[in-house]
Amino acid sequence: MRQAAIKKLRAWAARRHGQDSLPLRIHKRRIYILPTRFGLALALLIVVMLIGGLNYNSNLGLAFGFLMASIALVTMHHCNRNLLGLEVDAATTADAFAGGEASFDFVLRNYSNVDRRDVQIRCLSGAAIRSVAARSSEPVPVAVPTPRRGVMRIAQFELRTRYPFGWFHAWTYVQGALTAYVAPAPLGSRTLPSVAGSGFASRSETRGDEDFAGLRAYQPGMPLKHMAWKVLARGGEAAVQSHTGLAAQPEWLEWSSLEGRDAEARLSQLCLWVLESEAAQRVFGLRIPGKEIAPSRGVAHRFACLRALAFYGDADPP
Amino acid sequence: MRRATVSYEQLLGISVCLALALVPSLSSVPVWVLVTAAVSGGIRLLFARRGRDGPPRAVVLTVACLTVALLFLEFRTFNGLAAGTALLALMGGLKLLETNTQRDCYGITFIIYFVSLAALLEGESFWLLAYLIGVCWLTTATLLRLTTTLPVPGWRRSLRYAGRILGQALPLALVFWLFFPRFAGPLWQMPEEDRGAGSGLSDTMSPGDISELALSDEIAFRVRFAGAPPPPQERYWRGPVMHDFDGHTWKRAYPVTFTAPALQPQGQAYHYTLSLEPSRHNWIFALDWPSHWDLPRGALTSDYTLVQPEPVSRPLDVAATSYTQVQSSEPLGNIVRRRDLRLPPNRNPRTLRLAQELRGAHPDDVDYVRAVLDMFAQQPFYYTLTPPRLAGDSVDEFLFDTKRGFCGHYASAFAVLMRAAGIPTHVVTGYQGGTFNRFADYWILRQSDAHAWNEVWIEGRGWLRVDPTSAIAPSRVERGLSDAASADEPLASRWERRTPWLADTRLRLDALRQLWRRRILLFDQDSQQKLLEWLNIPEPDGQKLVMVLTAALMLVLTWLTWQVRREVDSTRKEPLLRAYARLCGKLAAVGMPRLAHEGAEDYAARVSRHRPDIGPAVAALCREYSHLRYAAAPAGLSVGGFDAAVRAFKPRGSRAS
Repeated sequence: MRQAAIKKLRAWAARRHGQDSLPLRIHKRRIYILPTRFGLALALLIVVMLIGGLNYNSNLGLAFGFLMASIALVTMHHCNRNLLGLEVDAATTADAFAGGEASFDFVLRNYSNVDRRDVQIRCLSGAAIRSVAARSSEPVPVAVPTPRRGVMRIAQFELRTRYPFGWFHAWTYVQGALTAYVAPAPLGSRTLPSVAGSGFASRSETRGDEDFAGLRAYQPGMPLKHMAWKVLARGGEAAVQSHTGLAAQPEWLEWSSLEGRDAEARLSQLCLWVLESEAAQRVFGLRIPGKEIAPSRGVAHRFACLRALAFYGDADPP
Repeated sequence: MRRATVSYEQLLGISVCLALALVPSLSSVPVWVLVTAAVSGGIRLLFARRGRDGPPRAVVLTVACLTVALLFLEFRTFNGLAAGTALLALMGGLKLLETNTQRDCYGITFIIYFVSLAALLEGESFWLLAYLIGVCWLTTATLLRLTTTLPVPGWRRSLRYAGRILGQALPLALVFWLFFPRFAGPLWQMPEEDRGAGSGLSDTMSPGDISELALSDEIAFRVRFAGAPPPPQERYWRGPVMHDFDGHTWKRAYPVTFTAPALQPQGQAYHYTLSLEPSRHNWIFALDWPSHWDLPRGALTSDYTLVQPEPVSRPLDVAATSYTQVQSSEPLGNIVRRRDLRLPPNRNPRTLRLAQELRGAHPDDVDYVRAVLDMFAQQPFYYTLTPPRLAGDSVDEFLFDTKRGFCGHYASAFAVLMRAAGIPTHVVTGYQGGTFNRFADYWILRQSDAHAWNEVWIEGRGWLRVDPTSAIAPSRVERGLSDAASADEPLASRWERRTPWLADTRLRLDALRQLWRRRILLFDQDSQQKLLEWLNIPEPDGQKLVMVLTAALMLVLTWLTWQVRREVDSTRKEPLLRAYARLCGKLAAVGMPRLAHEGAEDYAARVSRHRPDIGPAVAALCREYSHLRYAAAPAGLSVGGFDAAVRAFKPRGSRAS
């Protein structure tokens, strides 16, 4: 029942505040606050204290009871203030694999002269808690488990705090669209298809770094160690030195070579090959139904391949 | 995320807070409970020192069951303050033993807050309240350190933050306290408690035993007279009256129902307010003899002592009127006459013989009384607070052998002599004299002012007060005990006579205490009514009180919200930023809000493009702002001037769209 109520509240908050653009400064009208279990226990204690004071006709007892009640009220304001005016931002995410975690990098910026302590960011089932000193900002990486391959879209995340004393729990919902691309879990054989001996000769062992074969235009993802720095320094185009090794015959990581397994198992195997090939600095291409990625190498290429694997079967790839 | 285990230091902090909160209740909690709590806390701290958890839950639970059962056997109830405090102390100690997580610490902080309250329900002093607020402050700071994740703020920071919260809570608490409606009586009756080491007069008087009362400096009550006070020899404050004598001890008579002879007041009426300190008895020490009092449940006993049905367990103010001279023309009833003539058979034979001899010489009642007093005055009777102990026939021994005693001895001997001669007599105990506090115009009656005197029945005149002690040392009746006694008097009062300024300081302090009592401790419905009248609210009643409370709360809460939010306002303390924010606000109001990424110059350029009419003015202002904010030393510009220019700037609504 509690879960259902929270779900309703989240939906209501989403309708009320609409889509937010990050970075977002937290306005007072979007902070909600409720007592925690300890807060409720304290409230009960205060009521008993006041009844005791009234019953014993003790003005000092009443004074103490009222002081406790006032402390609780002031604490409520302080708890609310701990989020007020805080700015939250989210950066892009790193790779994630099914069965692993996606790390969302949030940033909390505190423009005020007071410290914000113990601010928690909750994102699905992931959470991280940080304090932000006065006039500073703090990165808050939140690791969210990614059980399934595909695109993980987060429509809403939550900022919450129980500071001070843990009597109250203030929170706010932020409707900031966050996306993580979850590649398949890298599983299967580490042996690359070429080494497995599928018929075409592999020249991957020849590094070819020594045989200079001219300049080629720089593409993002090309290894920086081949960068033609002198050309760039002279004001020329960004270019890389081409070596015979680079021009070696590319290897194709083929969907069709994995006949007889189900789709997810094929994707997992391909994912593992992509990682292994990249680690071995090979030139490779990827061919899966509906998508073909030309042979290349480097971080961007690897990223493109992993995305292609993540999107496989997605009706609406971004 | 709050399941983290507690550290040694955190445990130490919370243990110290618990111990400090228990200090005011030390006297009312059984020693073994305190020892159990202290040992539990000590063991847990020792464990924590070595980085271990507390003992297993089963052990703690067993100890808890045993000790709580023991506590119940001792008190027979958990209803009531002493038993409740003891239970809380025990629970606090044992909870400490099983405290492993921060969650457990919440339980202990709640116990600390509650123990503090229990001490305040009993206590009355300003210092107690101040001390417990201090403990509350420390506990709250400790709680802050317990609930905050790393980095845990240092002690000074925690104390400062908790102090700030406390400071902001005080005005709110004051409003609640002033305007929260008080009830006339308790919501339900709590079991009456023995106030422990309450000194004061008792039901019995044994002149043979040594009185410790005379050495007590404790205040019994204070009196403020509406007019001039009665002369010293008429300032007798009436307490319990003793009728039954068994040869050694005087006791109050078992209650008999009859109406006392009516008294006809004579002479001047004295109006005064009694401020009684709590005691375990129900006597109201009115000036002899009371005629009116504003105590709804107060009544005179058949021997003219003002009492109320229940003990004076809290400070009590009573306004009353008394006459120091009365007469009674009615004859004395037979029951009373018999009661006040009864003597124990075969006791004090020498005294009875003496009475017969004297009576033979003085057949008139008044003459006889005078003869006995003369005997006390002329024979070598001494007044001392440390008389020899008397055994057996105490009156015989006193009158013929030791001849040393204090008021109880003389009153007792006098009564026996009177009764033996057939004159109805009883012993009245109470207080006599008092110290005047010239700084606040009231009289202080201490336990050392306790006194005993007699009343004899003279036909046609009624009861006549006779103070046989005054026959020996008249100065005592004139000026109180501290002159008559010498080496035995309390140290404090001896110092005071030697150093008058010390006495003055003490009186001033007492005046403050009395003010605290009148304004704070006895704040009630009447006081709230007066408060509303003072606020010019016509016909104050409960409903209006609640309305005032609501209004005041709203006011204070608004202040609080402003106060708390002000601190996170990033433009605070920076007039330049505030002025710039004002400018942006004004432009936003006419449809040109500044975008988050826009600097002042870009903003001005965009505004100029869309609103040529105000463009130049905005551009000038933005340039001024940039100079003030970023240039090293802006010449001829000032933040004040910029602020004034922004205030003067009045963009009109967009005409373009």
